[in-house]
Amino acid sequence: MATDIIIPTDLWEEDEDAVITTWLVSDGASVQDGALIAEIMTAKVQYEINAPASGVVSIKEAADAVVPKGAVIGTIS
Amino acid sequence: MAPTQQEQHWMYRNMVTSRKFEETIAGVYFEGKTPVFSMADGPIPGEMHLSDGQEPVAVGVCAHLNADDVVTATHRPHHQAIAKGVDLNKMAAEIFGKTTGLSGGRGGHMHLFDPDVNFACSGIIAQGMGPAVGAALSRKMQNKPGVGVAFVGEGAVNQGGWHEAMNLAATWTLPFVCVIEDNAWGISVSKEDSTAIANNADRAAAYGIPGVRVADNDPYAIYEAAGEAIARARAGEGPSLIEVETYRLAGHFMGDAEGYRPEGEKDALFEKDPIPKMRAKMLADGVATEAELDAIEAESAARVEAAITFARESADPAPEDALTSVFA
Amino acid sequence: MNVPNERKLTIARSMAEAVAQEMRIDPSVFVMGEDIGALGGVYGNTRGLLEEFGSERIRDTPISETAFIGAAVGAAQDGMRPVVELMFVDFFGVCFDAIYNLMAKNIYFSGGTFKVPMVLMTSTGGGYSDAGQHSQCLYGTFAHLPGMKVVCPSNAYDAKGLMTAAMRDDSPVVYMYHKSLQGMGWLATEPGATVNTPEESYTVEIGKAKVARAGSDVTIVSLGMGVHHALKAAEQLEADGVSAEVVDLVSLVPLDRDTIRASVAKTGRLIVVDEDYMSYGVSGEIIASVTEHDISVLKAAPKRVAYPDVPIPYARVMEQFCLPNPDKIVAAFQGMKAA
Repeated sequence: MATDIIIPTDLWEEDEDAVITTWLVSDGASVQDGALIAEIMTAKVQYEINAPASGVVSIKEAADAVVPKGAVIGTIS
Repeated sequence: MAPTQQEQHWMYRNMVTSRKFEETIAGVYFEGKTPVFSMADGPIPGEMHLSDGQEPVAVGVCAHLNADDVVTATHRPHHQAIAKGVDLNKMAAEIFGKTTGLSGGRGGHMHLFDPDVNFACSGIIAQGMGPAVGAALSRKMQNKPGVGVAFVGEGAVNQGGWHEAMNLAATWTLPFVCVIEDNAWGISVSKEDSTAIANNADRAAAYGIPGVRVADNDPYAIYEAAGEAIARARAGEGPSLIEVETYRLAGHFMGDAEGYRPEGEKDALFEKDPIPKMRAKMLADGVATEAELDAIEAESAARVEAAITFARESADPAPEDALTSVFA
Repeated sequence: MNVPNERKLTIARSMAEAVAQEMRIDPSVFVMGEDIGALGGVYGNTRGLLEEFGSERIRDTPISETAFIGAAVGAAQDGMRPVVELMFVDFFGVCFDAIYNLMAKNIYFSGGTFKVPMVLMTSTGGGYSDAGQHSQCLYGTFAHLPGMKVVCPSNAYDAKGLMTAAMRDDSPVVYMYHKSLQGMGWLATEPGATVNTPEESYTVEIGKAKVARAGSDVTIVSLGMGVHHALKAAEQLEADGVSAEVVDLVSLVPLDRDTIRASVAKTGRLIVVDEDYMSYGVSGEIIASVTEHDISVLKAAPKRVAYPDVPIPYARVMEQFCLPNPDKIVAAFQGMKAA
């Protein structure tokens, strides 16, 4: 069963969207639970996204995509 | 020495114009930079360092200067440029990188040069000292009036070149004043963590010159200290050092998240905003009416708007203009 | 496609990781510079270090480059291994004596009895309108003066390995990283720089160039951001049936002339891409290294796509006019006439 990679809702206060600035894995790569897999940025601050599970990454939103809080940007299965 | 009523109006006008300019520029700066913040994007790309909160330093000092006096400033120059009388349209156009700008778009916001009012600024910390000292030297050698004033930040006083210039100005008894804008932060490093002593004004003793620290961003106290220092210089008595406690209400650069600032520090600073404070004082002292101050604010806003419009509507330089103006 | 254990890093992260891994095993390594502590570096290359190692070993400095770079020389000579940051290479003007007269010469002056094991890391590059004092590359300036090794990573894999190699080198190494490759978040990053980077510590040899793309019709030599321009130009040329070889210098000092010469001997054509000022610099050195060695290999006069000899203008249209880019490289090839 796939685990969603979600933009956290509690990292910043405002309702601003974030941008995925960098994917640190390729589509189809294997990752460990907790590994750093992407960097996102709101207007001023860079945040890290870690893998919520171990498995194979499937990227849904590419780099430069603008995503709101709670968005699913990929899955791990 | 207190500013006359006319001078106070001038000071207030320039503070308001400055603030309005910075707020407008901040808005334009973020055009094209959201939601993806890339410094390269938008009508004003590159870095931007705004002077919100530091206006008193510019007006308190420049109230004593005329077009003939020489001022050098830093990467955070707009308030000083405005107070010195730099053409606001050409300055805005330069910040927008337009062909009608002060340097035809070659310099940008950190390198504003206006020979008509003897203003120049540059982006390397403390390096404005040398040229301001040199201008003072030139006037003394030619027996011409005029003083050189260098505005620097408190971080610059830890830079070797600052000390060399200060020593030279003192040794040669030059008509020079150094004004330190102490906003307590050099990007993310506090003055406390980087400076061996509490008050940079005390470093004047190392050069045998007067040094004074002005607290709390007070334009009237700055006016008084600057008046004495500039009078000294004009009288041939040599250089002085003025250190002003001021407040940086914006980040170091636009886009700076300021995570390094202690929580609540910014909010406390906004309560000390020098512009509403001066407005209240002028009203209380009876040197201005609400209507007069409202008019000043409206005129300032209109002037800023006109400058931004001028900048927006001006043409870009031709690409090949990059290759000209290298040599005289 | 299943890429096992892939782990991409930005150059910023790979630099920080290299330093952290070395600091864990070598207590003599420490870091000094402006905003490298609490902020993690203006370019993100010291992130996490202050939290892990504390303020004794991760030292935010005053704005006093001459003092702290000079101090790094002294500390390096006394058994420490400092990693020092010069925030923008353009700031070298205020502290160059400590760099070129002390750091670079003390091994020589002492006949090798003194070692200067320090790394001077510094940001380079423009293209985002930071104007004439914050956008330079100055590769030639640092490469020209004897006594300092100079490296210039084009990707995160090399960035990590070069940093580790630099920290282990007993000679001073100037580590020049390009802002457009870094991955800071406040500036768009060339995606080609963010590549798979091994988790373990490893070195990349200082002084060895790499063939980033094999080809047979023309050799394009570059460093840093220029490598990515060259790779894109090579793709455009391929569409036109031209096979371009791209050589990534990786290091300026020592300069791997053998790899460059071997490549040009194969292709017969040379284009050098250099974001630094054209005259008296890297592009001229590469060309001279080829022509003085064996001019008979050349089928056409070499060309350089380099920054003109002007201060860097602020306005976007002017700056972009001056910068190297893939189109200019392709045009350079098309302009090559048979020798």
